[in-house]
Amino acid sequence: MVFKKNYTIRGIFLLLLLLVALIIPLIIRSNQYNVLLVTTVLLYGVMATAWNIIGGLAGQLDLASFAYLGLGAFTSGTLLIRYNLTPWVGMILGGLIAVGFALLIGIPLFRFRIREVWYALTTCALVEILKVAFTMWEEIGGPVERYLPYYRGSFYHMRFSSYVPYYYLILSLLLITLRLNYKISKTKLGYYLKALGEDEYAAEVLGVNTRSCKLKALVYYSFIIGVIGAIYANMYGYIHPSFFNGQESIKVAILGIVGGRGITYGPLLAALLLVGIQEFLRASMGGEVSGLYLVIYAIILVVVVLFKPKGIATILQDIYPKILPKEAKKKDV
Amino acid sequence: MEIVIQNLFNGILMGCIYALIALGLSLIFGVMNVVNFAHGDFVMLSMYFTFWIGSIWGIDIVLTPLITFPLLFIFGIVIYYGLINRTLREHYTIQIAVTVGLMTFLRAITQLVWHAQPRAISYSFIQGSIQFAGYVIALSRLTSATISLIIIGCISFFLNNTWPGRTIRATSDDLDAASLMGVDFTKTYALAFGLGSSLTAIAGGLLMTFQQVDPTMGLRFGLLSWCILALAGLGSITGLLISGLMVGIGESIAMSFWDPRARSLVIYLIFILVLWLRPRGIFGRK
Repeated sequence: MVFKKNYTIRGIFLLLLLLVALIIPLIIRSNQYNVLLVTTVLLYGVMATAWNIIGGLAGQLDLASFAYLGLGAFTSGTLLIRYNLTPWVGMILGGLIAVGFALLIGIPLFRFRIREVWYALTTCALVEILKVAFTMWEEIGGPVERYLPYYRGSFYHMRFSSYVPYYYLILSLLLITLRLNYKISKTKLGYYLKALGEDEYAAEVLGVNTRSCKLKALVYYSFIIGVIGAIYANMYGYIHPSFFNGQESIKVAILGIVGGRGITYGPLLAALLLVGIQEFLRASMGGEVSGLYLVIYAIILVVVVLFKPKGIATILQDIYPKILPKEAKKKDV
Repeated sequence: MEIVIQNLFNGILMGCIYALIALGLSLIFGVMNVVNFAHGDFVMLSMYFTFWIGSIWGIDIVLTPLITFPLLFIFGIVIYYGLINRTLREHYTIQIAVTVGLMTFLRAITQLVWHAQPRAISYSFIQGSIQFAGYVIALSRLTSATISLIIIGCISFFLNNTWPGRTIRATSDDLDAASLMGVDFTKTYALAFGLGSSLTAIAGGLLMTFQQVDPTMGLRFGLLSWCILALAGLGSITGLLISGLMVGIGESIAMSFWDPRARSLVIYLIFILVLWLRPRGIFGRK
């Protein structure tokens, strides 16, 4: 009975959040720029949540998110330009290409036991490698933007006349990613990942096949980011090697860390707060003083990391027992 | 053939400066195991300082490290006590998050102060070039490489023959044993961090003699010095110098024989291959 009541209060709360998320674009629809901003925030939310699988649960500091995003974008975009293939299929193919690349890199990386810092730096270098490679590969990439064929409001080409459908598309992906994240953290794989994230040697000694666990996490992560990449390309309407952005990849990982590694809703919370603040500052003061919004953003980032090293999601975990002391107590038992 | 030799010269001269930058990173990472993502942005910052001092006071670029060296040393110590010291006990991802925050901050502040367009100073008394058996060598690069070598030699002497240098090496070998012998590790760490960042002041000044600076170049220098560090492994300055030369030569050859855009591609590919095949580096100790 108690459990049920607990469940309903949380359920109502989540339902309210979802309702707010669903209504937001309808309220600000008159200004498409604002819809784009909100969509960007959500986009980072999905990426950081997906990153949580490899970075938060498995403790592998992956800095290659925009490599997978770029691969997804280029796969879907090129198929659309060359063969007029609908992005709805290209999206899946983009995800698969990203997975293929992740496996190509991940298998030797994990086989040679590259860990921690060196894993982070390798993945960071990968983004730059792909950027240069796609700039030099004139058939697919090249230094000039390739525009996707323009159809206003064509469902087949995933081109809509406003940003609102993209918002809902990314919102649904966010829900799927959150659900997946939660599911994984409750399965055997999730516990294995948490164990090896804490101490890889200990997990190995206890019989966890760390290599295959890490690979599984990498596959989930790269597939989601690859799919996001295809949507990203269609939202902006072009593909360009600058999609392989090392700086932004680091940002995604930072969101995951600041949000709270391994906490399902942590990265999303960090994305909503930090990217929200950044985009708000950029929109309000970017035109007057270039760079000032980044200074403020960087200071907020450093302060948050210094004072909440376990993640800002832990603030909520601290508050929860204070608001509902009875339920938190029952939950512990 | 002549082009190959010319490229070798250029690569070697560049490699000396790269080794100097990587030496700073090696001090920081080797001693306190802190991953400094902002190292490349320290180089960028000192290049801007050089530009500022050079263009406001008209001091020649080669002499600016006399001012920027202490400046960056103090900067490094402030950063150490303000940020790094607080996160030493945390998970390594937290240290990375803090240094990434620092990196973003430095990039933003330079963009704010000096705007996004590239900056360069044109005058220095080492401008021009010398002819040597039919090969052209830019005087600025030759001087920069020589100064880098001298500084690397000085640091090597400092680490081997002086008391503070020995404490740095002892702390890097075994923190607990060094602490038991009465080494104050906080001060040693601060010294290593300050020294590591002040080395970028010299490198930045030298780079300014033939390059321009813009706020986004930090990540490239950062990854480059990590690549040299991966090649060299920890604990060997000679290894670091050789790795720097290898990277410099590889970059120079790739630029003229393959594609000018391929310079970073070659460096990163070397980086990944070395990590796969020899994770402790070619000259690594452990």
